[in-house]
Amino acid sequence: MSDANVQRLPAEQLFQKELDALMEQETGAVPQGWRMSPKSVLTYICGGRCGNMDISAKYIGDRRLVEIAIATLVTDRALLLIGEPGTAKSWLSEHLAAAINGDSTRVIQGTAGTTEEQIKYSWNYAMLIASGPSREAMIPSPVYRAMEQGTIARVEEISRCASEVQDALISILSEKRISVPELGIEVPARKGFSVIATANTRDKGVNEMSAALKRRFNIVVLPAPESLEAEMEIVRSRITQLSENLDLNAKLPNEEVVEKVCTIFRELRRGATLDGKQKLKSTSGVLSTAEAISLLANSMALAGSFGDGTVTERDLAAGLQGAVVKEDSKDQKVWLEYLENIMRKRGSKWLPLYEECKELNR
Amino acid sequence: MDRGPFVFGIRHLSPAGAYYVREFLDKIQPELVLIEGPSDFTELMEDLAQADVRPPVAVMAYTRQLPVRTILYPFAEYSPEYQALLWAKEHGRKCRFCDLPSDVFLGLLSAREAAGDEETGSQGRDGHKKTPECSFDVYQALDRQCGDGDHETFWERTIEQCRDMAGYQKGAKEFGSGLRQLELCLGPGEENSENLAREAYMRRMIEKARTEGISEEKMAVITGAFHAEGILCGDPAMTDKEFLRLPRLESMKTLMPYSYYRLSQRSGYGAGNHAPAYYEYLWQGFLKGEADYAARRYLSGLGEYERTSGGMVSAAEVMEALRLSQALAGLRGGRIPALRDLRDGAVTCMGHGRFSKVSLAVASVEIGTKIGSLPQGVSQTSIQSDFYEKLRELRLEKYKSVTASSLNLDLRENLRVKTKKAAFMDLERSFFLHRLRVLNIRFGTLELVRQDNATWAERWVLQWTPETEIRLVETVLKGDTLEQAAAFELKGKVEESQGIGMVAKVVAEAFYCGMPLAVHGALAALQAMAVDAAALGEIGDTIEQLSVVLQYGDIRRLDRQPLIPIVSQLFLRACLILPQECACDDQAAAGLVSAIGKLHQAVMVHDFLDRERFVAVLSQISSRDDLNTRLSGAAASILLEMGAMDSQELGREVERRLSKGIPAQLGAGWFSGLSSRNHYALIARLTLWEKLSAYLDTLDDEEFKRALLFLRRAFADFAPGEKDQIAENLGEIWQVNPMQVSEMLNESLTEDAMEFLGGLEDFDFGDI
Repeated sequence: MSDANVQRLPAEQLFQKELDALMEQETGAVPQGWRMSPKSVLTYICGGRCGNMDISAKYIGDRRLVEIAIATLVTDRALLLIGEPGTAKSWLSEHLAAAINGDSTRVIQGTAGTTEEQIKYSWNYAMLIASGPSREAMIPSPVYRAMEQGTIARVEEISRCASEVQDALISILSEKRISVPELGIEVPARKGFSVIATANTRDKGVNEMSAALKRRFNIVVLPAPESLEAEMEIVRSRITQLSENLDLNAKLPNEEVVEKVCTIFRELRRGATLDGKQKLKSTSGVLSTAEAISLLANSMALAGSFGDGTVTERDLAAGLQGAVVKEDSKDQKVWLEYLENIMRKRGSKWLPLYEECKELNR
Repeated sequence: MDRGPFVFGIRHLSPAGAYYVREFLDKIQPELVLIEGPSDFTELMEDLAQADVRPPVAVMAYTRQLPVRTILYPFAEYSPEYQALLWAKEHGRKCRFCDLPSDVFLGLLSAREAAGDEETGSQGRDGHKKTPECSFDVYQALDRQCGDGDHETFWERTIEQCRDMAGYQKGAKEFGSGLRQLELCLGPGEENSENLAREAYMRRMIEKARTEGISEEKMAVITGAFHAEGILCGDPAMTDKEFLRLPRLESMKTLMPYSYYRLSQRSGYGAGNHAPAYYEYLWQGFLKGEADYAARRYLSGLGEYERTSGGMVSAAEVMEALRLSQALAGLRGGRIPALRDLRDGAVTCMGHGRFSKVSLAVASVEIGTKIGSLPQGVSQTSIQSDFYEKLRELRLEKYKSVTASSLNLDLRENLRVKTKKAAFMDLERSFFLHRLRVLNIRFGTLELVRQDNATWAERWVLQWTPETEIRLVETVLKGDTLEQAAAFELKGKVEESQGIGMVAKVVAEAFYCGMPLAVHGALAALQAMAVDAAALGEIGDTIEQLSVVLQYGDIRRLDRQPLIPIVSQLFLRACLILPQECACDDQAAAGLVSAIGKLHQAVMVHDFLDRERFVAVLSQISSRDDLNTRLSGAAASILLEMGAMDSQELGREVERRLSKGIPAQLGAGWFSGLSSRNHYALIARLTLWEKLSAYLDTLDDEEFKRALLFLRRAFADFAPGEKDQIAENLGEIWQVNPMQVSEMLNESLTEDAMEFLGGLEDFDFGDI
């Protein structure tokens, strides 16, 4: 089933073995429309053991938040995950759908251009004109299909949609049915239908969600990783997966490199050094864990394509420069200040990286 | 059924335990109920079981000697011990506490404290640290192990939610014996040996009951789950000899109201309880037979709190929160949500994912503001009775609440009421509150009142906490009533006092407390000390304190006659030593300026002080050249204020002090002394400015530069508005537009001028 040429496999195929094992060993009660019990979903996401198989942790962080998310879906309420960019909202939503339904692909990507039709249904206009409205001429949306099948639909970045599109969701979530007046039919949602939406706190105010829509969701706020160790763990496990997928031809960056990147990101995010003794300016962009991951993948690609396959300070410096200094000239000043005031004084371990970073800013 | 005694292991403050303990007692129908708790508290049982006792209440034992050590045994309505006690009373059975008596507990406590001191001492010497094994905490380990947040949640899910008695008993037994094994295998700690001693004593109490002819089948023991095994283990009971060997501290005991807030602090005895109000809902749920009553009550309580404080929480959201918390409990295999599930459900559905939005509501609904109460005449210490008697008399009862409320007092006689008592109600209240303040019993806090009528108004913020009660009980060592205790306290303070200033403070305190006898006692001490007093600063402070008493004594209905001779005596002494004290450096001068100010203040308000002498002394200081010039200036300014120096004299003085040949430093000192007290008094005197102007005219360039320096210094702390007025004066003298002068005076310096002045500074320092 899995195809080696696919750039990115959906979660349910990537972790098919784990999912199969969990379903096989299932002992708990399985809610209607689900493939496994809520407890097994929790094990799948937070890691653990199943029979004699190790289940890897997909979400590293507060286990209780995942519990709340799963419990929400058990009560057939819709789930809204919100948080800063790069706090694993989409990641968690994908894995939840993969574990519960074995299908995480019913996704609507919320953009400024998303229309109401994409939430409900649209038409194959050639057929519509040729033979009038019919079941065959209708193209159901992912939400429509999820309702028919009693599964979970995902809506990404819901706060980026225009408010009339958001409002279309209200009636779906409260009535739990879609009517198609053209065909004179009404599709009720089967048991097991739910929606997982994600929203970005940085996009606040782009299209503020209405209170009516918010009320239909249980809201779980995902925090940035709590400690340096947790963040390093996340970065490390994701890098390993990525390098397997992308054939980067480079060795995995060692512990020290991961630690340096995470330290720099955390410090610039917080606006203070890790020990809290020194205040510093933070950048205009969000330095998320996701960015740390892509930065390292980027450095590995550089090392694999142009170097000897080991991530050097030079590869890292190029990545850091790009990640920290986004568009603002202010960011460059912040970065230079950080280099001079913090990094330079960190001792010999950091010196090569400092030199390389400085070279780029000359 | 197996042979007794029947032990029912409980957890303190456990609603399920409280409910099942009654079922248990109903089932075995014992003749004697033994309850964990100091055995000498048995005599308080009658009072505790009275119908109009409203828990939470606590039994407190305290030592009779200083430092006062206390132990507290709080009971909530859902304490299994309390329910067992009520059961025994309702069924007319005997009931006793069976733990070590409180004097032994206090003895052990102080022995442990002493040992603790020694240990830390030896640690310091050897440089050894405690091994990590020693600091192993069973509960922390349990928190990590149970995978459910904390052990409180674990306990709630596994034992508190048991739906039958057998389940509870079994759960508690397992929990207790597991805990016991862990503790005991951790080695012979002090706590362990204490636990073993307590259990041996409990066996002794069972033994004693047996000799009284109560068969073991007719005995029930209600005790912490931990001790259940220890009681039944069959080891010998504590012998008389062993019992007598235990350390002891003579103790007293009393009942006191307690609060849920304090219960939630985990202080004092037992496991504490982080959410007392929620646990009360659990208890009510048991009584109603509705397993999920607490969950519903808790969440609707949160919704109600949010709505009354302006938050928008709909009934739908409350329902969603309930469903979510049930689903969360379902993940753990339960049906009834535990507090943790409820809280997370509320955060997700009502707080929209953010705890901060519901945190206030959560605190209010989980902890609550409930405080217990005891009926009149229930065993209290004399000082507690006095306190409550006074509260009633002064109609302050409604302020006995954990939420702070303010009280405004008008100390004047209220002419609109009939009885004399009512007329001085506020004054009596003030005395009462001041006495509590002196005794450091935190009930009222005096707010500063900044008004013209501050002499007869007081504003207090009143808040009752169980600490108030504890301090109150501790105070019993000082006297039987609040007044006696306050008198004792003040007397102690007088004896400790180092100087007359401190005694004067006590006089003032006694005066605020409305205790004439204490005032006289302190005054006698003051007089004795005043004979060989002391520095001028101290005399100044003393006179200031006493002066307040003299001025406002009337409002507090105090006889002020005895104060007058002392104040006169101190004043006279101050006048005699003042001139010689004035030969000092600038640092000491600052203190003296304020002392002189205080003397001046006293002279102004009290007719009996020798005004002429004061003026004479000041004139002397003002005119002498061998004293600190700053003080001379200050003396002159007071003389001006008192009208004892006319403009002519002032002019002469200005000329003399600022004349040629006098070092700029001294001139500046004098002028700043003159201007330090009252800027307006100076500004109003045109002559001064005329003289100043004339003086400046006489100077040549070099001298002017020098004078400029000290004048600049002297005028530095005048406000812009004041400078305006000076400008007006100068304008009048120089016949120019005051506006222009003012502009020049207030203008910030140009760079050239700054440079010039800077150069001047250099020049001058070299010169002097």
